[in-house]
Amino acid sequence: MKNALKLLRRLVVGMFLVCLLLPVLDLIILFSFTVKYAGNGSPYTMAEEVASGLSETESGYALSPQLQESLAEAGAWAMLIQSGTGQVVWHTEDLPAEIPLSYSASDIASLTRGYVQDYPTFPASRGGDVVVAGYPKESFWKHMYPSWDRGLIEILPPLAAVIILADIGVVILIYLVTDMKLLKSVGPIVDGIEKLSKGRTAYIRKKGLLSEIAQSVNKTSEILQARNRELRKKETARANWIAGVSHDIRTPLSMVMGYAAQLADSPHLSGEERKKAQVICSQSQRMKNLINDLNLASKLEYNMQPVDRESVSLVSLMRRTVVDFLNMDAEGKYPMEWLTGKDVPACFVYADAALLSRAAGNLIQNSMNHNPEGCTIYVTVEQQETTCSVTIEDDGAGVTEEKLEELDNAPHYMMCDENVTGQRHGLGLLIVRQIAQVHGGRMDVGHSEKGGFAVRVELPLAAERG
Amino acid sequence: MDTEYLKGKRILLVDDEEELLDMVCSILMEEGYRHIQRAGTVREALEAAADLQPELAILDVMLPDGDGFSLFEKLKQMGDYPVLFLTARGEDEDKFKGLGLGADDYMVKPFLPKELTLRVGVILRRSYKNETPLVRLAGSQIDFQRAEVLKEGEHIPLTAKEFEILSALCRNAGKIVTIDSLCEAAWGDNPFGYENSLMAHIRRIREKIEKDPSHPASLVTVKGLGYKLMVEGK
Repeated sequence: MKNALKLLRRLVVGMFLVCLLLPVLDLIILFSFTVKYAGNGSPYTMAEEVASGLSETESGYALSPQLQESLAEAGAWAMLIQSGTGQVVWHTEDLPAEIPLSYSASDIASLTRGYVQDYPTFPASRGGDVVVAGYPKESFWKHMYPSWDRGLIEILPPLAAVIILADIGVVILIYLVTDMKLLKSVGPIVDGIEKLSKGRTAYIRKKGLLSEIAQSVNKTSEILQARNRELRKKETARANWIAGVSHDIRTPLSMVMGYAAQLADSPHLSGEERKKAQVICSQSQRMKNLINDLNLASKLEYNMQPVDRESVSLVSLMRRTVVDFLNMDAEGKYPMEWLTGKDVPACFVYADAALLSRAAGNLIQNSMNHNPEGCTIYVTVEQQETTCSVTIEDDGAGVTEEKLEELDNAPHYMMCDENVTGQRHGLGLLIVRQIAQVHGGRMDVGHSEKGGFAVRVELPLAAERG
Repeated sequence: MDTEYLKGKRILLVDDEEELLDMVCSILMEEGYRHIQRAGTVREALEAAADLQPELAILDVMLPDGDGFSLFEKLKQMGDYPVLFLTARGEDEDKFKGLGLGADDYMVKPFLPKELTLRVGVILRRSYKNETPLVRLAGSQIDFQRAEVLKEGEHIPLTAKEFEILSALCRNAGKIVTIDSLCEAAWGDNPFGYENSLMAHIRRIREKIEKDPSHPASLVTVKGLGYKLMVEGK
């Protein structure tokens, strides 16, 4: 529902913006239209100007030619009504014939707020007399009874505010009601799509405005689930197949290996023959390792998770793994140094001990395989704030930058969906990475300060033991 | 350590592959074991067990007329002797099942002859250690039956903890035993935090077994990892 709230907020903000923008837009339109009428000047001003521009001469009255011109431009005429007599004592040449030339007081009152013979008229005083400017018919509309209750005028601003607020309220209400309806039907769809993206089943009730979309989401979910089932079936079949093959190959390989080892030690054979037997033996051992690795890698890759997780001391486990190797290395070709500090705590991790031991074993074996002339192997366990790490490094041949890059980035052929033709590397490191990953950790490869290859596996500390 | 007496132990070998039986037989005989009985099925195995009274059984898990796990349980009812599973089933679950039932070891095929003979030797030594004579060290001898050390004609008794630690080291004579395994041997299931006590005990053991305790010749420290007991003739 988090997304729905976000959506709602957006809609409301959008509505407010619309409410603000509309009046502004209206004002702009109004202004751009009225600006051209405003150019005419006020007719009252015109009357005032005529009143002041009218000069009394010996022969009567005279209007400045400039004013005459602006009157003519507006199509207006003007006249001067004498106070007391009500007689028109002066007027412009173009005074329409139907305009009377004599006015009573009531006529003047009427022309002040209205019209003379439908000509809109605008008065201005000149001394005691009245100048009247008349404009063509239907050029102006005059408000003839302009009077309001004073009280009404006084409450007008608050009243307007209340009305506007009420309007906004009504608009919000309408918006909310319609949007909530929409949101109500959008919400489950959003949830459903979120579930789909996490690979879970989504089922949305087909109700409301968006039932068609709901139906499509449901259908998509069904298709995805069906595909996933198919995929899982295939993956399980593949893992089982690998497990089966590696099982069936063990017994024949036992005999190859066993007899080859016996022949390699046989006193009846020549040195050359014993050497050959030794090669058969060591190669069948490689096959054995490969089978083990292949089986584990396929299990780790497909649906299998470490089953036997428990709180394990990483320090103790690594110590045992190192000692196992030391006890096996009869020739002393691969001395190992334990560089873990004395103050390092037990480093409890929640893990499958057999898998972790396997990972460390793979790394140690890896160092041995790449340094057939022998090398020293260094093992360090460290504890960080929320993680602990094992670093296994050697002072042997090491790796080139390109190889490092490849180890970091190139997908292993087992995981690769393309046909791989390049050189294939072993499963050892891949398994270590997989083991680190199923435990929520990571593996980094790099150069060792000791001169050779270094691998660091970092694992989260078990929560309950700190 | 004298292990010649172990070569006379009666061994029962069960596997459905005739050729594998041949090979394992030849490996064990080459090592010096003299009494080996073979069986290809559960039925044969039970008959042979009743007949032979084996002192060690090496079992395959998949047999034509049953599985090795149930055979194991039947054999255990007939007599108490160590059992080693030797099987192509390499799954961890199988391994745990086998060891969980009480098997002494679990080996996955394929294997090197050396590994088999070493493991068989370890199991036999562990199971029949009561017959073990004195353990000869560079400067002394350990008599586990009496829990004492013989040094320069003197009998020095071992405390319970020292006895446990020394037995653990002696079982793996010539090999490194980790600090953790030693603590576990002496203090049991939750052996964390005993490292300093262990060092104290090791010091006292050295005083008892070494000629020159400050330059140990028999009980050797492997820095950071553990200790190793050097036994004469190993």
